[in-house]
Amino acid sequence: MSPRVRIALLALAALVLLPGAAEVIAGLPPFGSTIAQYGERINAITPEARHVANMVSAINFDLRGLDTLGEEFMLLAAITGTVVLLRGRRGEGNTGHAMRRPGRAVIPRSEAVILACRIAGPLTALFGLYVVLHATVTPGGGFQGGVILASGTLLIYLGEGYAGWRQAIHSHWLDALEGGGALLFALCGLVPMLTGAAFMQNILPLGTFRDLFSGGLMLVENLGVALAVTGGFTQLFLEFMEETRAADEAEEPGEESA
Amino acid sequence: MSVLPYAVAAWLFGIGLYGIATSRNFIHLVGCLGVCQSATYVLLLGLGYRWGGIAPIFYDHPPGTPAVDPVMQALVLTDIVVGATLTALLLVLTIQAHKRGGSLDPEKLRPMRAGGTSGRGQGASRVSDREQSTS
Amino acid sequence: MTAFPAALLPLPVAIPLVICAAMLATAHLLPARLPDILATLSALTVAVLCGVIAVRAADGPLVYWFGGWEPRDGLHLGIGFSVDEASGWVAAFIGLLYALTFVFAWGFFDRTHGHFHILMLLFLAAMVGFCFTRDMFNLFVWFEVMSVAAFALTAYHLAESGLAGAINFTVVNSLAGFLMLGGIGLIYAQTGTLDFEGIAAAVARGGRDPVVAGAFCLVAGALMIKGAIVPFQFWLADAHAVAPSPVSVIFSGAMVSLGLFGLAKVSAVVFGASDQVQHALPALLIGLGCFTALLGGWMALLQRHLKRMLAFSTISHAGIMLTGLGALSVDGTGGMLVYVVGHGLVKGALFMVAGILLATQASIDEIALRGLGRGIWPAGIAMALAGLLLCGLPLGLLDQGTRLIQGALAQQGHGIALVAGVIGAALTGAAVLRAAGRIFLGLGPDPGDEAGAPSEDEREKANRPLWLMLGPCCALLALDMGVPAGLIEHALPRAASAFMHRPVVDAVSEGPGWLPWASVAAALAGAGYGLLRNHLPALLVLPVRATQSAPTRALEALHSGLIGDYAAWLAVGVAMIAAVLAMA
Repeated sequence: MSPRVRIALLALAALVLLPGAAEVIAGLPPFGSTIAQYGERINAITPEARHVANMVSAINFDLRGLDTLGEEFMLLAAITGTVVLLRGRRGEGNTGHAMRRPGRAVIPRSEAVILACRIAGPLTALFGLYVVLHATVTPGGGFQGGVILASGTLLIYLGEGYAGWRQAIHSHWLDALEGGGALLFALCGLVPMLTGAAFMQNILPLGTFRDLFSGGLMLVENLGVALAVTGGFTQLFLEFMEETRAADEAEEPGEESA
Repeated sequence: MSVLPYAVAAWLFGIGLYGIATSRNFIHLVGCLGVCQSATYVLLLGLGYRWGGIAPIFYDHPPGTPAVDPVMQALVLTDIVVGATLTALLLVLTIQAHKRGGSLDPEKLRPMRAGGTSGRGQGASRVSDREQSTS
Repeated sequence: MTAFPAALLPLPVAIPLVICAAMLATAHLLPARLPDILATLSALTVAVLCGVIAVRAADGPLVYWFGGWEPRDGLHLGIGFSVDEASGWVAAFIGLLYALTFVFAWGFFDRTHGHFHILMLLFLAAMVGFCFTRDMFNLFVWFEVMSVAAFALTAYHLAESGLAGAINFTVVNSLAGFLMLGGIGLIYAQTGTLDFEGIAAAVARGGRDPVVAGAFCLVAGALMIKGAIVPFQFWLADAHAVAPSPVSVIFSGAMVSLGLFGLAKVSAVVFGASDQVQHALPALLIGLGCFTALLGGWMALLQRHLKRMLAFSTISHAGIMLTGLGALSVDGTGGMLVYVVGHGLVKGALFMVAGILLATQASIDEIALRGLGRGIWPAGIAMALAGLLLCGLPLGLLDQGTRLIQGALAQQGHGIALVAGVIGAALTGAAVLRAAGRIFLGLGPDPGDEAGAPSEDEREKANRPLWLMLGPCCALLALDMGVPAGLIEHALPRAASAFMHRPVVDAVSEGPGWLPWASVAAALAGAGYGLLRNHLPALLVLPVRATQSAPTRALEALHSGLIGDYAAWLAVGVAMIAAVLAMA
């Protein structure tokens, strides 16, 4: 179909959907007037019930922990898929030369960049750890902190170059980190069942409200998520980074790659 | 004013879909998919908002202060992770498509060629015979 | 504290997840066959656990609340799993399908350090979670996990066609995810809860509400995209045909049917009290189902690439399942659930045969393989048997499901749907039987219209003995034919009523007994025409060829493989659903 036909179909669909969308928008509760009963109840009971200040973390790791478990494994699946897709073609070795674009110079790293990265790297790692640990009292948590930590590893590449990056980051460790974090989270679900409680029930002591150590089992799950996300995203960066290296030998077309 | 967030969500989804339907570059297509996803963010967060509500974190404010809906925020967090995973996978597929096909144009990358490219000798020759006699 | 057997409910989801994570953590230390062994054992464990759960759920659905968050004051605070008998048996079937697929794929993926098994186990866990859950957002999460695992598994072969198919699959199913999320947001805003029962109660209190209808439109659209219903079906042929055959077994055997399973659950349980939705459903589902059954069947007959042909046949059968759902009765939905299992078994067996051909003959093209199957004739028997079962041979689960659906449709006077279903099944059966005849008997020298269909040079790694690949295939067929009909008849009224949250009915009606035979006869005639075209008199051949060619080209051109087209049709489909809802 030509683009015109597609746009015509889209316009037709929009025409049919417009009155419906207007009716739906008119039928919704007025914007900002009220929040749902579910959210209201959670805000009311969770600080008392779980001694945590961050309601979103409580929902993610306690009330609706199963959703987060699924989401964690979805991340794992995507990273695994990425690794298989990219590595299946490329093989598992690492190559020494960067890819060269004709007509573009390769500019060596300046000393200012190296210094800035050496200062910023540990600071970023510290900040990431801070975000991870304060899941229950600040708008932080395993996901957010994990991504910050993973981005921090890119500073290693910027500062030390590809050789330093490869020395620091080993794919097997990242696999272990990712799998280990996800395993920890899943075990946080199963272990309470061994003590007779429900799956992922908060059986650890709940700590004090507004303190770093509050929330009980939530902190362990948070740690699991942080490990998995750090490992996963660093693995992702590693794979994409390897794509920018020149292949040592020509790649063969479509043989039995499975 | 109170319909604006929902109207924006609907518009974002529509324009993202338009972008996907008329895209000529895979990376642009991934971006348009991101726009479609932003529509869901705006919708969910808009549905969970309350005028004058604080963030659902009772560190500086006492518990019981009117806050926005934490469930919607948790949903959006999951949505963001979904978005990240989809973007990663699609970009990987785009890289491979570029390497194999040399082009980033969706219009040029087709799943299969019609008419059969099977290289088997007897099949191919029979096909060409029959095609000549039946066309 | 939850009593046994409700305490079993998290396990079929948690066990594959734990094993998956453990395998990833130790990915490079695992010896060669350990992933295969672990994966097969996990799938078998899941199947057994779900079977036990299903048996225990016969008296009433088993309910489990995660995190110990039981409902308080009528408000559902945590996520729940609510497993009725039917959902339990579907989950058990899925576990068994996976176990047999792992045996089929033994040693196939040994270069990837168990990554294939990790993705497949995650896929399994997500499917079981999808069947068990009673929370809308949890349903979405498992839907997305299924999708992401499927995306990652599709592009394994890395050939150019594989990439295009994977990209189309990923984009269309991601849009489905976004639609579903939008629908969930709308229904949450209106009802204030995410639990199925909570939402159902609020919908019942509410009366006619455009937001509820809008939410249903989006959620149903998303599930129909997953279920490959027209006009959302384009992605299936692309993705399916290029995925490795163990993965295709799961896609057609379980994933597509689960979309329709989800639609059945959501429309019966969550939106059951909305009159607007219930009035719109018969017209919508039966109309789309008829169209899908016919289109899928027609396109299947026109293919020469076996996996693409089987993908279109899945589309056709998904259409038949949708018509069964549209009857909105206990026998219709019950029949559809039996059909899900029966079709999954037979289609899985067919994809295994396709995998055997790819591995042993290094081709998947029907015309190129002509006569080459003589050396592996047991596979030919399996293929022919599966083809006959597909078109309605009165034997086994698939046939029972068909007759129940036909009974439900006949009772409500949906004659067109009955005919469409019969024709669709006949066309798909004809396609498979024609392919079997060509490949294994060497008949059919005249390629006909199929010669113009898309095809590719393909092969798969040939490192397993024939019996290892044929064994699971025959096991699937044996399961389909072996389950006693009386057992299903006895359990179905109770199970289907529990699934739909309706009062129990006494018995279910079945369709006319001669209909399956009509469908088989039509399929044999179609296959015979295809195979013996050059022996038939011109009087017979010319009119058929004249009717086939022009519509053929139009239909094939529509399935262009371009993502832009698919996006446009997606918008049209959602608009169609909205229009039917608005008129109800």
